[in-house]
Amino acid sequence: MTATQEKQSLPAATPETRTINLITAITEALHEEMERDDRVVLFGQDVGARGGVFMATAGLQASFGQRRVFDTPLSEASIVGAAVGMAVRGLKPVAEIQFADYMGPGFDQIISQAAKMRYRSGGQYTAPLVIRTPSGGGVKGGHHHSQSPESYYTHTPGLKVVMPSTPYDAKGLLKAAIRGEDPVIFFEPKRLYRASKGEVPGHDYTVRIGEAAIRREGTDLSLIGYGGVMPDLERAADALGAEGVSVEVIDLRSLVPWDKELVVDSVQKTGRAVLVSEAPRISNFMGEVAYSIQAAAFDSLLAPVGQVAGFDTPYPYVQDKIYLPGPNRITAACVQALNY
Amino acid sequence: MTPFQINPAPPVEFLSVPEIQPFTAEPIRYVGEDGLPVHPLPDAYTPERLRELHSVMLRAREFDRKLITLLRQGRTTFYAQSSGMEATQVGLAHSVRPGHDWVWPYYRDHTLALALGVPMFELISQCLGSNSDPSRGRQMPHHFAARKQNFVSISSSIANQVPPATGTAMAQKYLGTDEITVCTFGDGATSEGDWHAGMNMAGAMAAPCLFVCENNQWAISTNLRGQTASENIHIKARAYGMPGFYVDGNDLVAVMEVCTHAAGWVRAGNGPALVECLTYRVGSHSNADADAEKHYRTREEVQEWLGRDPIVRVEKLLEHLGHPIESEERSNMISAVHREVDQQVIRAEATGQPDWRIMFEDVYSDMPAHLREEAAMLRAEQAEQTGGDRK
Repeated sequence: MTATQEKQSLPAATPETRTINLITAITEALHEEMERDDRVVLFGQDVGARGGVFMATAGLQASFGQRRVFDTPLSEASIVGAAVGMAVRGLKPVAEIQFADYMGPGFDQIISQAAKMRYRSGGQYTAPLVIRTPSGGGVKGGHHHSQSPESYYTHTPGLKVVMPSTPYDAKGLLKAAIRGEDPVIFFEPKRLYRASKGEVPGHDYTVRIGEAAIRREGTDLSLIGYGGVMPDLERAADALGAEGVSVEVIDLRSLVPWDKELVVDSVQKTGRAVLVSEAPRISNFMGEVAYSIQAAAFDSLLAPVGQVAGFDTPYPYVQDKIYLPGPNRITAACVQALNY
Repeated sequence: MTPFQINPAPPVEFLSVPEIQPFTAEPIRYVGEDGLPVHPLPDAYTPERLRELHSVMLRAREFDRKLITLLRQGRTTFYAQSSGMEATQVGLAHSVRPGHDWVWPYYRDHTLALALGVPMFELISQCLGSNSDPSRGRQMPHHFAARKQNFVSISSSIANQVPPATGTAMAQKYLGTDEITVCTFGDGATSEGDWHAGMNMAGAMAAPCLFVCENNQWAISTNLRGQTASENIHIKARAYGMPGFYVDGNDLVAVMEVCTHAAGWVRAGNGPALVECLTYRVGSHSNADADAEKHYRTREEVQEWLGRDPIVRVEKLLEHLGHPIESEERSNMISAVHREVDQQVIRAEATGQPDWRIMFEDVYSDMPAHLREEAAMLRAEQAEQTGGDRK
């Protein structure tokens, strides 16, 4: 064990509720699932001794050895492909792709193998794997370290797609993904890795994939987002709240499947919806949410469904901050819906 | 070179010294085109055993012919024949322990499937998309999957099976089994990124995977010379730290010997190996490519390879050993296969075709709300069209 590995070793878990950040929640989920199930193996680029470039797998190789936590050649196609082959043979692989922007070489493995194995073989073979990958902007990473490619994956039946924004959800969803029987693309909003702090219980729990969460209840407008933009939704709701507007904030948490029922119920109650994500607007997953809202709650709508998205440019480097939706742009979209 | 120029493959010399070693300049051969052994045959190749193997090859060949007929009758929609490649696929099957080792095949492997014991009924059911298809009619014809034989579902996407095969081998190693994984592909696949990624990973991880290139020299209309400037395929193994064997893919005995040797190397924990079986696609790529000789290759080239027919070679060998297959016996064997195919087609067709409900199943382990909604919509549409929901 190297000195770094020793330093990275996890403290013994305590049974009490603790406040941790999102990346620690990820590490804990991995640690606990590996402890629970020998079939869980972890691999990717620099996830072993290095603990991952964001340190999500810090200490895990020290705890579980190189057999279960290992570095691979620098090849997303073979990382994802190997995960498929391992899952088919009965393991529970959790592969890390260092940045969601680099999933391209593994894309065919995801859409042609992982997503379709159960379907195309009539259930004779399945590929229950998890691909964890940091995504989203706000870290001055330019387009190859900042993009939000989740919509590509929501467009492929057979994949489950999730993106938590709190430590509680990150831990619970990752555990659910590992325990599940389907391939899951697990996006981690990298700018929240350390910025998002919250309580997690000391006991074992999971968060069901496909269920949204109401972050705060409100009656005038439903503000709906997921992933890295969630703290900005809260800020916008605070600002509007100070002006006497009651905003219901919803975190989708899962994109496929997504909690249409909860969203539609909310919009039927408030009459207004603003959808927020940082991915480019064209073919943004929120387009599906907007369609579903107008189809199911047209008569309840008091204003057109609003959307705040990233711009349809490649993700810029210098304009990182103004590219992202941000609380002001979100608030303005809400005001527009309220004044319609 | 213009895109339309016919560029024949260079003449191939065969290595007549059957010493099994990697990276030979010529393909390893045990039996010449005249059916005479170029080296004393190992004891295992008794006339009885050779006859048995011959019948497996002939069964696969006639399966091809019958399925092409079904295709022309419009009873199936796609077919990728492996005529001329029987020695490669039957020989390879010999090194696999069916249901114990795992196979990630490619889309031209029905002979391998038959040789591994996948019931013909299942293959025909898949080609017809009938209710008896174990894959539930989900894939275009000739994309098989067989659970009992660990014959993993085939993807059309070329070389797509290579990184997963590496993963399965890694899992086998992780689990401490004595299984190996066998991964097959054509020559065209070796140009794909996935092929190199998977081979490299297998080498780096010392995964127990036997990679087998069924080099039939044509990827639809692009021949081997158009595919790579490399002198051959097996030499690429060197770059990934594994042995690369080169074998006459139309010589059943040579394929069996080399694949068994290579599988033994893999099984012994030495890491992966690559075998290149030099064979030839005597038929077209598929029904989408009905007249290859009209467009991109010469009839002379095909004739030359028809002269190297792997089944005829076994027959000549048997003749040489004093156990010839008489022509009447041969035609009886062929008729028996035709009857078998006819019977299995009738059986499969009798099971009917999967109805609309099947479409929504197996997308996930559970059925999410959006799929339930879509299924309900289709149910209503179907009910309207049939004048009442059947259930």
